[in-house]
Amino acid sequence: MLRALAQRGLALAGTILAGALVVFFAMKAAPGDPALTALGENARPELVAAFRHTHHLDLPLTTQFAHWLSGALHGDFGQSLTLAGGVPVAGLIATRLPVTAFIGAYALMLAVLISLAIGTIAALRRGRFADTLATSFAVLGVSMPDFWLGYVLIFFLALNFPIFPSYGFISPVQSLPGALLSGFLPALAIAAPMAAVFARILRAALLEVLHREYVTVARSFGLGEKFIFLHYVLRNALIAYVTVIGLQVRYLLGGVVVIERIFGIPGLGSLMVDAAFGRDFPVVQACALTFLVIVLASNLLVDLVCTRLDPRRAA
Amino acid sequence: MLAFRPLLRNRTMLAGLTITIFVLLAVTLGAALVPYSDTQMDFLNILTPPSLSHPLGTDSFGRDVLTRVLVGGRVSLIISACGVALAAMFGTLAGMSAAWLGGWPETLLLGLVDLLFAFPSFVLALFLMVVLGYGTQDVILAIALVYFPIFSRLSRSLTRVLMGEPYVQAARLIGQPGRMILLREILPNILSALLVQATIALAFGIVMEAGLSFLGLGVQPPTPSLGVILADGREYFQKAPWVLTLTGLAVSIALLGLNLFGDGLRDLADPKLRQALR
Repeated sequence: MLRALAQRGLALAGTILAGALVVFFAMKAAPGDPALTALGENARPELVAAFRHTHHLDLPLTTQFAHWLSGALHGDFGQSLTLAGGVPVAGLIATRLPVTAFIGAYALMLAVLISLAIGTIAALRRGRFADTLATSFAVLGVSMPDFWLGYVLIFFLALNFPIFPSYGFISPVQSLPGALLSGFLPALAIAAPMAAVFARILRAALLEVLHREYVTVARSFGLGEKFIFLHYVLRNALIAYVTVIGLQVRYLLGGVVVIERIFGIPGLGSLMVDAAFGRDFPVVQACALTFLVIVLASNLLVDLVCTRLDPRRAA
Repeated sequence: MLAFRPLLRNRTMLAGLTITIFVLLAVTLGAALVPYSDTQMDFLNILTPPSLSHPLGTDSFGRDVLTRVLVGGRVSLIISACGVALAAMFGTLAGMSAAWLGGWPETLLLGLVDLLFAFPSFVLALFLMVVLGYGTQDVILAIALVYFPIFSRLSRSLTRVLMGEPYVQAARLIGQPGRMILLREILPNILSALLVQATIALAFGIVMEAGLSFLGLGVQPPTPSLGVILADGREYFQKAPWVLTLTGLAVSIALLGLNLFGDGLRDLADPKLRQALR
């Protein structure tokens, strides 16, 4: 067990390091000079040279990478090129990360709740009207671009029910109810396509388990249907379900990036899009790497949950 | 390969196929038949609501939105198809070779796939746009990069499954070179599974193009693409909500067709390979 954990940790560190390498060198290959981005196209040559010196841009690439990496390990991602006064990137990330984590978790929670209901109804009423309805909803959900859904949601919900603000976001640090309310529409827009994917998987997994021998045996023991469903059927179906959730986290976060920008939510996603427009390389680098770490961390979490659900895996 | 009869018996698939054919006809023939051009401006009819002469209304330049959706739909479809084709080509090549060679090439590919999978899809695309710049061909490359790991992983695991099959063993025994076996024995048998994946990826590719262009990082106006039209619609959403709403609805119909088609195809795929397609 310890050995497996150590191996896992090593592989994780390897992936992060490889990610850092790729992100760093791809950024260096990008067109545009960071010094000119920061100082303007017509900056004086001596200013440009000074800028390069202070930001270590005059060193060989490998030295720059080592410098950047050791800084990153200490929580120092350099300074923003476009924001006035050269704001430290780490501070930007630290203020934006909780917002993105909140929206992502909120969307995931909504997606799980919706898909649990729809998937269960569809599987238990297989072939009947409720199943057709639920399955159609699921296919429809996958087919709607989340950012478009976000806008339509604003249009129909925010304008008719003013309790949901159509723009702006209250940070969960300030007020949790406010964050839950103002984050509802964005989270729902991200959750809808996800819920559709999850519901389909849950339905398929439930249908597979429903006809296993151990379920028939449990019935022959005279156990209640509810008990059988919760302890035998759902529990085993959840293994496939949770695995798929883990695989979808990267799409979910992808949705978060676009939705944050559209709803004006000050998270990592909108930071990265703004940085992409401004060609603010240090910020883009740090954002990409942070997202990488989030995905790896959630994959690890999913693995742990799966091992808990399916003890055979631990062996 | 797929037989034709069960194709028509599967209702999901039939519905998907019908919608997809309708969409394809609309963006090719339909775009040629409409009386307007996608760039022709009409300043007497700015932001008119949907009517008989303009079924989806007009935009802020008085351009017919339906015409733009049809032309833009074609642009988006071509972009997505190019991206998916690139991803499928290189992904399959890499995946099959890795499975066949085993050893360090396989480890290397799997490592690369794991790394690419660890970036959120849109972050990867966004990152690529910064490195390469914005524009149509960069959107294609971004889609290709996002789907490359999916195709390479799929084709690797499928090749792995088929390598144990008697006919592959037989081909090995009679001394066929590896690349012939991959090309003549294995590729035809995994093609239907790759096709299923490509259909679904095509739908996702359209969403990705729309997303990137919606943010202004993808296809640049005045070229119409679905993302560009949606982004336009967002600018005057308060005044003319139909542009964004109806365009998105049109996109959803196209995606619905592709998704249903892919689902149906998946049900028909070889049971032995179905596991890998999930």
